[in-house]
Amino acid sequence: MVDATLAAIAQPAQTDPEAALRARRQPLARRRYALEIRQHMGWRRQALVLAAALLAGLAISAAILVAAGVPANELANEFVMQTFFDGQNLRAVLFQAAPMVLVGLAGSLAFRARFWNLGLEGQMIWGAIGATAVSMWQIGPEPLRLPLMFAAAIGCGLLWVLGPAWLKIRLGVNEIISTLMLNYMAANFLLHLVYGSWKDPKDNFPYSPQFRAFERLPELGAGVSSAIALAAVVALFAWWLVGLSRAGLYLRFVDANPRVAHANGVPVRRTIYGAVLLSGAMAGLAGLAVAAGQEGRLTQAFYQGYGFSGILIAFLARNNPLAATVVALLVAALFVTGRSLQVFYQVPFSMVQLIQAIIVVCVAASDFFIRHRLRRVGAEAVQ
Amino acid sequence: MSGGIVLNWLASTPDFAVPYALAALGLIISERAGVLSLGAEGLMLVGALAGIGAQLAMGQPAVSLVLAMLAASAVSLLFAVMVIWLRVNQVIAGLALVFFCQGLTALVGSLAEWTNHATEGIGAMALWPLSLLPGAGRLFEQNAMVWLTLPIFLAVAWFFSRTSAGLRLRAVGENPQAADAAGIRVAMWRLAAVLAGSALVGLAGAYISVVSTKLWIAGMTGGRGWIAVGLVIFARWSPWKALAGALLFGCIEALIPQLAAAGVQLPQYFVMMTPYAVTLGVMVWVALSRRGADEEPGALGQPYVREERR
Repeated sequence: MVDATLAAIAQPAQTDPEAALRARRQPLARRRYALEIRQHMGWRRQALVLAAALLAGLAISAAILVAAGVPANELANEFVMQTFFDGQNLRAVLFQAAPMVLVGLAGSLAFRARFWNLGLEGQMIWGAIGATAVSMWQIGPEPLRLPLMFAAAIGCGLLWVLGPAWLKIRLGVNEIISTLMLNYMAANFLLHLVYGSWKDPKDNFPYSPQFRAFERLPELGAGVSSAIALAAVVALFAWWLVGLSRAGLYLRFVDANPRVAHANGVPVRRTIYGAVLLSGAMAGLAGLAVAAGQEGRLTQAFYQGYGFSGILIAFLARNNPLAATVVALLVAALFVTGRSLQVFYQVPFSMVQLIQAIIVVCVAASDFFIRHRLRRVGAEAVQ
Repeated sequence: MSGGIVLNWLASTPDFAVPYALAALGLIISERAGVLSLGAEGLMLVGALAGIGAQLAMGQPAVSLVLAMLAASAVSLLFAVMVIWLRVNQVIAGLALVFFCQGLTALVGSLAEWTNHATEGIGAMALWPLSLLPGAGRLFEQNAMVWLTLPIFLAVAWFFSRTSAGLRLRAVGENPQAADAAGIRVAMWRLAAVLAGSALVGLAGAYISVVSTKLWIAGMTGGRGWIAVGLVIFARWSPWKALAGALLFGCIEALIPQLAAAGVQLPQYFVMMTPYAVTLGVMVWVALSRRGADEEPGALGQPYVREERR
């Protein structure tokens, strides 16, 4: 408060041109600054700060890549040209993007309800297990098989997040820990299945038998899977839900202030349940998108990296569904690039995670410059 | 016969309990100062990797453990700057730290080719008169780090309850506004708490790699850092309760290989779920009992912004 008052006192003095001139002539060592909360920053300057943060993150990442043995002049080529302007790679990005968009949307929706759903991976695993169960046990006739797999994936993902949601809302159990613990449990259950009764009898590798053709997401043509169309539909749905529907309005109330929302007649609990369960359902769909859209079977480590990516996408997109879709495409491109760097330059794939983390750190830190500013104070007091 | 199994089980418990105990103690230090340290899982990995790296280079366990502590502290500096000065949301910063450390350690571990290289650990140290006890004597043959853990706990508990510095640190976590008004430098105390706490978390990680498994594998902590975060809530931020909780988790983890050795047929992957299931159960139990809810540091997870003080 002292500093803030100082700043307030100093403010009129600085509008005085003579004082401003004197302040400018003041030697550097004797200048004093105070940190202020910035009430508002125009969106153009916000975008500029964000861009600077992203650039800083990319520059640090590039430096690390060069240190890891990637030739500097190859970087731009590898990242931009190869990924976006090569037909085959673009298809690979779209292929990778479908589950990425879904986990990103799942993250955004739960975070909008102030629920840290770190269990995206667990819900993905259960979604894939549900879909695979329908295929394994041949439930339903052929034309109904894929819809049933969808229902199973949605149901399983939703049920896996129901526990933490209930525990958080009823008992106040920290959802960060509970959802993470459930991830580890789901991952072990997945291993139990693929190393146990669901192991492919044909070659004894730890994965389930291959899905039949009608159990896989069909191709749209030109080598593009319909998984990306599914992701686009879910993204549009999320955009409508968050931006246009009544539930979205409630969600914004709850996010801003649950107590005030409750006092105004918003069904707070139901809104949180709805957002969190939908988040689980979307993560379950992401599991189906990998199992039925990419691998064509249940594999032992298909989920790795998606949980963090979902959180990162939601954070960078500020929980906005359309922005999340765009960020998810970029993250997918990063994954594809990471794989080619792994093949051509023997850079470990963990580089991708490191780059993601560096970008998150830079963007999170940049928020400081949006919310604060430095102001020169006390030019008079010093003289 | 069964007595032998119980004895083996109890004798191997401390080895599993020490990482939980040290990590939880480190977390208590920083959370008592009001900084929510979700980054434990990542810092344990940093400690584990640095410990093995130093061990492969020099082969001096004591030096390796100290270097691991320094490495974890150095990485936590990034987190400290983010949450103390840049006022980033502590949950976001903690998660980012975990992911950063996971990526960094996996990358460095494979680039430096430290993965799966066995090193020499530290030998057992018998606690002299007790180790001569017939039968139960084996319980008192533990490695030096197990014995060192007890004085570390004593020192921290004494620091919190008996020194004015400990009081200052707790004040910063309870009510930073009041602490600031009393002339305590909030940012500095929080920084010190994060660095000291992270050193212990790094030591916990190095214990796993240097002393227990004696090798490095990417992601080898397997969620123990998160379990430690849960353990701190279970222990209501009290060092001694955290030690008791760590022993409980140590018992559970130590039981798994003993049962396997005794020839009990259990579904392997369900057994591997138990620490996580127990953590979840413990969290629910704490929530249900609702005891000591006021023991949580008052300003836990809140950045202190002097300009917003009212």
